[in-house]
Amino acid sequence: MNGTHAMLSHFPVGFWALATLMILVGVFLSGRLAELSRAALLPVLILSLIGGLAAIIVGFLVWPMEANLASPLTRNHILMSFWSLGIYTMITVLVWKAGDAAFDGNRRWALVILALTGGLMFSAAGTLGGHLAGAATAFSDVLGLMGWEVYTTFYSPLWVSAVMVIIGIALGALGIMNRRKKG
Amino acid sequence: MTNNRKAAGPWLVLGVPIALGLAWVTQGSGVIENDLERNIYIPEELTMPLQVQAAYNGRQIFFRYRWPAEQPHVYHDMLRYEDGEWIRHGRSIPGPDPDGTYEDRVAMLVDDGGVPNFGRYGGYITVGDQMRFFSNSASPADVQAHPYLGETLGQSDVRKYLPATRSDQNDWRSVVDADVLQTQREAGYFLDLWHWRAGRSNPIGASDDQWIGEFRNSDEGSGPYTTNWDGDNNQPLWMLDPEQTGQRALRWEDVTAGGVDFDGIYYLSENNRTAFDPDHDWQNGDVIPRRLLRDPQGSRGTISVHGGPARWEDGYWDVTLVRDMDTGNPLDDTAFHEQGVYDIAIGVYRNATGSRWHYVSHPYTLGLGRDADFQAMAFNGSSPDWSDDWFEMTLFYPGQVDWPTLISRAHAGAEDIAANKPVRPRHSEKQLALYGVEMEFREAITSHWWMTLIAGLIAMLGTTLALLPSFRSTRQGDRS
Repeated sequence: MNGTHAMLSHFPVGFWALATLMILVGVFLSGRLAELSRAALLPVLILSLIGGLAAIIVGFLVWPMEANLASPLTRNHILMSFWSLGIYTMITVLVWKAGDAAFDGNRRWALVILALTGGLMFSAAGTLGGHLAGAATAFSDVLGLMGWEVYTTFYSPLWVSAVMVIIGIALGALGIMNRRKKG
Repeated sequence: MTNNRKAAGPWLVLGVPIALGLAWVTQGSGVIENDLERNIYIPEELTMPLQVQAAYNGRQIFFRYRWPAEQPHVYHDMLRYEDGEWIRHGRSIPGPDPDGTYEDRVAMLVDDGGVPNFGRYGGYITVGDQMRFFSNSASPADVQAHPYLGETLGQSDVRKYLPATRSDQNDWRSVVDADVLQTQREAGYFLDLWHWRAGRSNPIGASDDQWIGEFRNSDEGSGPYTTNWDGDNNQPLWMLDPEQTGQRALRWEDVTAGGVDFDGIYYLSENNRTAFDPDHDWQNGDVIPRRLLRDPQGSRGTISVHGGPARWEDGYWDVTLVRDMDTGNPLDDTAFHEQGVYDIAIGVYRNATGSRWHYVSHPYTLGLGRDADFQAMAFNGSSPDWSDDWFEMTLFYPGQVDWPTLISRAHAGAEDIAANKPVRPRHSEKQLALYGVEMEFREAITSHWWMTLIAGLIAMLGTTLALLPSFRSTRQGDRS
């Protein structure tokens, strides 16, 4: 199952990398390539989500759940994978909702910010997967320079988790209120 | 105004990088802290270097160890006089002794292949269920009530043992029958333990000699120290001989000063002691070692310090131990032979810590004329010149990782262990040290990790909801 997970993981990682590149091209370049990138982004994102879900589901079958939850590397791999999936789900929903206007105005910067954040997440998830498969990469050292030793579990103090939840609830409430006003 | 709000809406996306960025800069904090009640103390340094050399002359084998230590800790188990009482200092406690009265040590496990998993996993195989000074250590009452460990061996805690000495790896109580233990030992299923102690053996040029089977046992014979305590009268049995040493006791301020005069009197031995004088005018701060050093006898006395007591100098201990290659004690000692390859793993204690607060090495092979991780240098004469290079090791703090866990479903590498794949190519010392620390806080870290994961997803969901009004399709013909 380990090999299957490694094989499947290439699809979301590849699609997410491609989607990130297409967003950057669509935002910063003009011309035919930029138009193509903007137009083809949504299908790539949808495929990435399907691939991501498949990789995560199969990933949970590699080792027993006790082992997944006991290993710092595995915990980190799971967290970064879910956060990657979360961010690219955000991008997918937003691009789907906005259609051709997804790159208009300040929306483009929202996409860029999400894409770069997601890029960091799936890169971390991928390099952690390499570690777990016995093939570490130098990107772990980059993460170390950014303050995270990948052999230690990525967890936050309770107050930070609370702040994250508050941010989510506050922004969610704001969004719902705005929607009702416009609706 | 409405246009301004529309223009600003997409910037609500910053909720995600702010939330995740906050998690990033604070990650790893809020859980790990010393908790002596749970036997948890995390060393400031998780790894340390060790240099090793070995040499043999056909009759004796020499091991030389060199490691950095901020200061030497040679005082161990001291009795301090205070207002009419002799107070003990330096017993095993979690973390460093606050007074520095806990000795430095180096311990080396040796095997000749009789314990195959030792060569693959080193000392981890000796860390069994509910070891002493683990957070879940077995209670002294339970161990004392055990028919073998308590009633036969007279022990009150669970120390290192080999897996096959238990029928159930998850239960320290499941000691196999005594005749099976004896047969295992005769078959070579034990680890030879060289155990040098800066306080309890080194001053008289001796080392302790032990072995690990169903317990951390001592070799036959008597060890390099005995207890200097008269329990009936609550006072020491012996003191320094004033006629020979010019003093009856040490002084507490000297013992705790953080240094030692290796040419002076800092220990109590058979050669400098006399009977304790209870009528002497003892002063507060007088100190008498609670251990009397004596020449070890029998199989337990086969290892000595080469060239006299080892010394700490310029920030380093430099210890050379010597022993007959074959001591003639096959039930206690591993014999070394020309063309032999042996598995070794080394542990070092420094900074006044004992028990499980040591630094340990991966297992390595030592060759006597054969390829191995490092070579013992063959020489003629009685003393090696140590002209070969040091073999450099990195030692690591192992935390609370036991063998039952490593072979359980909670360890992703359990299948690799079952397949006899060794640990060294798989895990670095740094990695094992960090894992060892996390194991001490496993439940708390796991719950914090779950909350972080879910909180991040909630932040993403909320931000998505906030962004949706700004991402409505506005072009003609688009979805409404």
